[in-house]
Amino acid sequence: MTKMIWYVLSPLIALVVGILLMGLSRKLLARIHWRVGPPILQPVIDLIRFLSQKSASHGFLFDSGLILSLAGSLVLTLFLPLGQYTPMSGSGGLLVILYVMLLGPLGIAFSSGGAANPYASIGISRKLMLAMGYELPLLLIVLTVMTGYRTISIVEVVRIQQAQGWAIATFPLLLSALAYILILPAILGMRPFEVVGAAQEISSGPVVEFGGPHLALSTLQHALTTYIGLSLFVNLMLGGGSNPVFFLLKMLVVFVLCLCVHAVFPRFRVDQAIRYLWRWPALVAMAGLVLTVLMGG
Amino acid sequence: MDRNQLVKWLESPAKMGHKYSLHAVYFCTGCGIIEVPPSITARWDAERFGVLPSASPRHANLFLITGYVSVKTLRAIIQTYDQMPEPKYAVGFGSCPINGGMYWDSYNTIKHLDKYIPIDGWIAGCMPRPEAIFVAVTHLWTLIDKDMADGYKRYRKHYAAYRANQEKALPGLDWPPLFPLEGSE
Repeated sequence: MTKMIWYVLSPLIALVVGILLMGLSRKLLARIHWRVGPPILQPVIDLIRFLSQKSASHGFLFDSGLILSLAGSLVLTLFLPLGQYTPMSGSGGLLVILYVMLLGPLGIAFSSGGAANPYASIGISRKLMLAMGYELPLLLIVLTVMTGYRTISIVEVVRIQQAQGWAIATFPLLLSALAYILILPAILGMRPFEVVGAAQEISSGPVVEFGGPHLALSTLQHALTTYIGLSLFVNLMLGGGSNPVFFLLKMLVVFVLCLCVHAVFPRFRVDQAIRYLWRWPALVAMAGLVLTVLMGG
Repeated sequence: MDRNQLVKWLESPAKMGHKYSLHAVYFCTGCGIIEVPPSITARWDAERFGVLPSASPRHANLFLITGYVSVKTLRAIIQTYDQMPEPKYAVGFGSCPINGGMYWDSYNTIKHLDKYIPIDGWIAGCMPRPEAIFVAVTHLWTLIDKDMADGYKRYRKHYAAYRANQEKALPGLDWPPLFPLEGSE
């Protein structure tokens, strides 16, 4: 019975935590800039406003792409351990996570493509380029973790880390953790990799044509993306959590660290981002994989 | 600021949302580009009022037109206003959109902006200080609270008249009417 409750609870917690993290990021960013900043619940106020407005639709693909992306992200939260609770623990583990992770950007790409706005197309091409940039190191990192712990189940990875110490504190996996830290801003869409939603140059990119409820859905999707990126990092590298509170606290710490980088750095051009992502994180992740294979074998 | 009163949120969440989440399109036509950036960045910080600059008119519900409006920019202003989702609020900033200001006898500027799109409030001055934006925002809150910021309703109701004015100023208006012309006055 308690297992069934977590099927509902864990996407819900993901949404709430994602939205609160967005509010926190706006407040904290303001404090770093020596401003007063909006209230922490400002994203909720925005969401209420978006949902109460009517928006122009640009056809079937425009509406359904957003729903596909939101549904993909919600399903993904079921595979990620939240403390000791994992609703879908017995099915596929990391391999499924890697596949379902693609649905988020893909749905947004369908939806923005349906709008036929040039800024949206540029934003989408940048998003997919950036995804190509960080997917390579991410795949290497996940492969290293699977090789190191000899399992494809993320629940098992968390359990072993709880028993033997965090992955970030053991030697060959330390390199993977380092590579993951380097690509984490790209996964979260924060500076210096904020090339997708660049408000100043391409009018917020993929979301340029969304208004009203569409914008609300894409905001929720963004909140879920933040949650998923942080959750995967905490589960793979920081040993998950023995209960949800510890887990969310670890996520908060990682997010605040990312935010400090976000607040002070400008952003890369997209070609610089790809060059960086395929050079340093990929190299470090590859070194981690080779060492893990050599030392494990 | 009654942003923290839960009762008001429960009574009319939509109205409170419109009040405290004003995402703004700043239409800097020439003047005002000096006054707007300090108001949205660290010096005056518009974000504490919930006012956020927005890059796309689809996200926005506040339209701030700063400075004189030439005939060419009028076209862009009308298109931008038409693209914003309702309810939307337009505010004229500076004396030029009100009555032409120092361009009162210019051949190439629009004298009265509210003949072409409905304006919910004016900020007079040449140029007003950035603080005036916040005075305007708090006034706009009062207007929204009393249902007096009804520019978008006036636009719908009198669309035929607005459209006629738009066509007079811009010969060869090449986009279809936003609303059916028959029902409106």
